[in-house]
Amino acid sequence: MKKLKCLYIIDDDPITVFGIKKMLNATIECENIRTFENGKLALESIHEAQQNGEILPEVIFLDINMPIMDGWEFLAEFLKIRFPEKVIINVITSSIDPADYQKWNEFRLNCYHYLNFKNKPLFKIEPTDLSRINLAS
Amino acid sequence: MKSPSTHFKEHLVRQLPVAIAFIDAQFQLVDASDQWFELYKAEKDTANPSIFECFRTHEGCSPELLREFLVGSDTRTLKHKELSDEGKRVFESTFSPWYDEKENIKGTLIHSLDITREYLKDKELKKVNALMEATAEVAKVGSWEYNLTTEKLSWCKTTKEIHQVPLDYEPTVAEAIEFYKQGYSRNRISMLFHKVLQDGSSFNERLQIVTKRGEERWIASGGKPIVKNGKITKIFGTFQDIHEQVITEKRTKESEQLLTTLIDNLPINVFIKDKDSRKILVNKAECEYLGTTPKELIGKTDFELYDKDIAQISRDEDLEVMRSLTPMLGKQTLGVKKDGTLTHFLTSKIPLLDVDGKAYALIGMSMDITNLKQKEEQLHNLINVTAIQNKKLINFAHIVSHNLRSHSANFSMLLDFLVNEKDANEQQRIIKMLTSAADNLMDTLENLNEVVEISTNINLDKKSLNLLEHVERVEQNLSAFIEKNTVSIALDIDPKLKVKSVPAYLESIILNLMTNAVKYREPERESKIELKAVKENNHVVFSVTDNGLGIDMQRYGNKLFGMYKTFHNHKDARGLGLYIIKNQIEAMGGNIQADSTPGKGSTFKVYFNEEA
Repeated sequence: MKKLKCLYIIDDDPITVFGIKKMLNATIECENIRTFENGKLALESIHEAQQNGEILPEVIFLDINMPIMDGWEFLAEFLKIRFPEKVIINVITSSIDPADYQKWNEFRLNCYHYLNFKNKPLFKIEPTDLSRINLAS
Repeated sequence: MKSPSTHFKEHLVRQLPVAIAFIDAQFQLVDASDQWFELYKAEKDTANPSIFECFRTHEGCSPELLREFLVGSDTRTLKHKELSDEGKRVFESTFSPWYDEKENIKGTLIHSLDITREYLKDKELKKVNALMEATAEVAKVGSWEYNLTTEKLSWCKTTKEIHQVPLDYEPTVAEAIEFYKQGYSRNRISMLFHKVLQDGSSFNERLQIVTKRGEERWIASGGKPIVKNGKITKIFGTFQDIHEQVITEKRTKESEQLLTTLIDNLPINVFIKDKDSRKILVNKAECEYLGTTPKELIGKTDFELYDKDIAQISRDEDLEVMRSLTPMLGKQTLGVKKDGTLTHFLTSKIPLLDVDGKAYALIGMSMDITNLKQKEEQLHNLINVTAIQNKKLINFAHIVSHNLRSHSANFSMLLDFLVNEKDANEQQRIIKMLTSAADNLMDTLENLNEVVEISTNINLDKKSLNLLEHVERVEQNLSAFIEKNTVSIALDIDPKLKVKSVPAYLESIILNLMTNAVKYREPERESKIELKAVKENNHVVFSVTDNGLGIDMQRYGNKLFGMYKTFHNHKDARGLGLYIIKNQIEAMGGNIQADSTPGKGSTFKVYFNEEA
């Protein structure tokens, strides 16, 4: 089973968080899965970890619709942060608005990290949602 | 030696009051009256001068002719002219034989008359007649004369030509009247002729005749009595062919009429302006627009009729059109009358050129498109409203689909888990989650229903409501909540002030704003909420000010009233209150604004529309 050191779930819906965690349990081993109710809390955590030299997330599951700071706002701020490694960000949304997909694509094209787009409902976590090296090898 | 009787006789001859001379058979002047000498400017004392000497400077009486006259036994008359530097004199001389007692011809008696004046008069008359005839021919003015004594009517040559009758035609009065066209013309001339005969009233009338050849022609017939000793003896009249003139006049009048009718009845304002932009022609529409008569408008400039700035624009256009000789076509212009009435026009200005190709005036045409403009504006507004509505709808549809989808997605996911789950405990856990997902969906549907109700409620039943009473009622209902959070509330609302609102909406607005103000207070300081209301133009502005957490307006300003937007980590935040009241306020024709500083507090202002 694949191992991950640190993974963030940013979503205000406890059911989705439960689901993602459940699916992850069946796929990987990760001792440090952290959940945040909105982008702002996650961003604060990243800044804190950076300052204290703590471990940074390798994979992020990111919801779009959240109070205070939504997924897009989080992404805009997140991309300003310098990361030593590429992070896999899975944008998860129940929206089927093409505008959301377009927005995601714009971010993807101008982004240092790997960006995936996943529509709810989720039934399974794909290997590419967790690792790019796997795909290459 | 002369006898006394001879002397007496001689003396008698001298004194005769006429110019008379006695010539003997030898053509010598025997004797003559003083007047003779005066007439011929001859010397009296010349002894027996030759008669030929007298006539030497005369024309028309050569010695040969004289000799013939002098020896004749009958009386003859001769006209002769004196040739001299003092002007011509015309003489008439009568030669009669001079008998002695025994009836023998002794010589000739010459009786001379100076007829210069008669001669000249005669000559003048002939000239005038000739001139008249020529004039009559050229101007087609003929004449006629009716003699009451002889009852004879005579026509001149021209009159006959106008009637197209032969020159030897002699009309009677009845025939002359027959020539007039049956009906008005004939009746009229009969009446007029009767009247001139009766009481001598002159006439001059345009009438129609039918000529001999059957042509209908317009003529001018005039008549005037000639009175002698208080009695009408003759009627003299003129007769003129004015056919072409009348026809031309008629045609001109007709085309003028046509043009005037056309211009006057065009549903656009038509005007002609001279070089100084003075109106020289205006049509009915232009007069009606300016609310005055053509008389009032002619000669006026735009400066006297319109607002100064507008008049200047128009004057500049006029000058440009007349300078460049290029018409200005279909330009949208604005007319602002002195009283401020505003009219939109579609205006064209076309230069009028003189024979040298220079503009001496311009024709202007203005079509009132105010109605069109208004409709266009209404349409624009409608499109704007529709666009906004449409945007709102799309937005709403997305929210709905998103929210419903997120719940259904959860169902799908959880059910998928449940199907594959073998652990009974875990199954119980999933079922619990499914129940919670179902509750969430119910809540969402209720929220959406609330929103839809506002949007679908078109015919709102607005009532005039006492604001203070409603505020106090809400405060009463919230009293436990307010007390628990130790918030002080200050009211500054006129007890008589009324707002137009749907009662339920007003309650919802006050409730939401007050609840928010309490909910998002700053726990570190004494919370204060101030509710105020003022009347401003057509609105009542109701404001709720708190000293709470405040919101970063730069970041969240455009999302503040959005659906499912929350900005604080508050457990009761649903992200629905402001969205709903904004919809309610807008549905009533008002609007809501927010002003806030993070850490200081917020002010929400509701504008109640008191007009509609």
